[in-house]
Formats: sequence, C-alpha cells, structure tokens
Amino acid sequence: MKKKLSEMDYGDFGTVCEISSNKSALRSLGVREGKTLTMVTKQPIKGPVVVMLGEVEVAIGLETADFVFVECA
Amino acid sequence: MAEKNKKMKKILMVGNPNVGKSALFNRLTGGEAIVSNYPGTTVDYTKGEFASGGVFYEVTDVPGTYSLEPRDGAEEVAVSILEKEKGEVVMIVLDATRVERGLYLALEVIERGYPAIIALNMIDEAHDKEISVSAGELQRLLGVPVVATSAVSGEGIKDLAMMVRKACVTDISRIKAALEGGNEDPAPSGCGGCTGCGGC
Repeated sequence: MKKKLSEMDYGDFGTVCEISSNKSALRSLGVREGKTLTMVTKQPIKGPVVVMLGEVEVAIGLETADFVFVECA
Repeated sequence: MAEKNKKMKKILMVGNPNVGKSALFNRLTGGEAIVSNYPGTTVDYTKGEFASGGVFYEVTDVPGTYSLEPRDGAEEVAVSILEKEKGEVVMIVLDATRVERGLYLALEVIERGYPAIIALNMIDEAHDKEISVSAGELQRLLGVPVVATSAVSGEGIKDLAMMVRKACVTDISRIKAALEGGNEDPAPSGCGGCTGCGGC
C-alpha cells in the first residue's frame, strides 16, 4: 500500500517509491527511491518524523515528509 | 615565513556533520578546534598546518555538510570555501560506521574534479560495533586513496598524513564502471589495493 511518509504510523516500514519535491535535499540525507525505511518517532504538534534508514536515523520536517511516498509492507 | 607560505599546499577537510572532522583536524595539526559529540559544532572554518614528507600543508576544517547544495548557513560556508579553493586537495571524512551516508557528498566532491583522499574515520567505533569496512575495496572502487583512521585513538593518522600527497582526481564514469563489476584499473595514480603504505 502506498502511503505518504507523513501519514505512516509508528513502527511502519516500507520502501521509498516516489519523491515528488525537495529531491536533492532528501537524497543527500539518504532518502532515495528504493531505500527501505522504518518510522521510529512521530513528534506531536506537527513536529518532525524520525525514520531509520539502515543504521542512520534521519529527522524530516512534516511538510517535507509529505513529498515522500512509501510502499508499505 | 613568506617563503614557507609559498610552498604550502592546501587541504580542505569536508564531510557530513558529526563524523569527526574537527577531532581529526586537531590530531593532524595539533590545533584547538572545538569538538563535541553532537552535529553542527563547527559553523565557521578553522585553519591549521602540518608537515609531512617535507611538504607543509595548510588544512582548513570546513563545517559539516550533507551535500554541495547548501541548505543552511554552515553549509553555505562549506560550499563557498570549496568554490573559492577550486582544484585544491579535498580530504573527505567518512564515518566508518555510516559509510553510505557520506558517500553522496564524497561523490559530489569527486564529480566536481577535486583531487581527493578519503579518511575512513571512527574506525575504532566500527571495530567496537563489529562493522567491517574494507578501505582497500573502497579505494579500488572510488579510485582515490582511502585510509582508515581514528581521531580518538590516533590509529591511521600518520598514514593519512603520508597519503595526502597521493590525493588524486578520478573520473565519475570510471567509478560507475567499477561499481558495475568491470575489472577497472585501480587508481590512476598507480596506487590501488593497499592502504596506508605512503611510499608506493
């Protein structure tokens, strides 16, 4: 099922299938198409999401997370 | 002093935030750059110098950046230093426990034609976490010298200082070919496979 990264729940994991904006910034952080990620933390009050990409934790602003689409298992 | 300055070669230390650039800088130069255990400590550059093999090097500790397309003030400083010093040797510092994260920036630097050398820093931590990283294999694939170092324990620092003169420009398409499994020639400088000998 395809989900926005910003809509994923705690513990969800999947493969990044589309990045619709802010591509270069996300890519340099390691968020690229084909990468597997796991949602680690969702901060309240529209705070950032934290995902685990391999061994690296990456925090992404909620607006940016809207641009990332993940094919969830 | 003026004559010494003329002979100085420049080295720019570039890498992701929190990979130990400043700690490595202090080790190399005996400098006093502020080091902490969280990212974003260095927001402006620091300069220092060291000598190796009769050559004096001026080292610039550049703020950490994720890419060469700046997204904040510290990254802007990093990118503008690189642009100002086009063609100078870049020492790319990677965190041996998170090599992949740093490769994006490493490839960006290599693609822009800077002579490069890679310091695979925090190798002591990689050992502790039982992560095995092959400096030799990285060197073969990337075609630039790769030296495993630990700024904390001092491991590999001398090798790094010796290998700086081996820093070389490599072609991004050659790296692509090497990654696709071709038996490409190693580094064009004629230096491949081994690490840290400093005397090929």
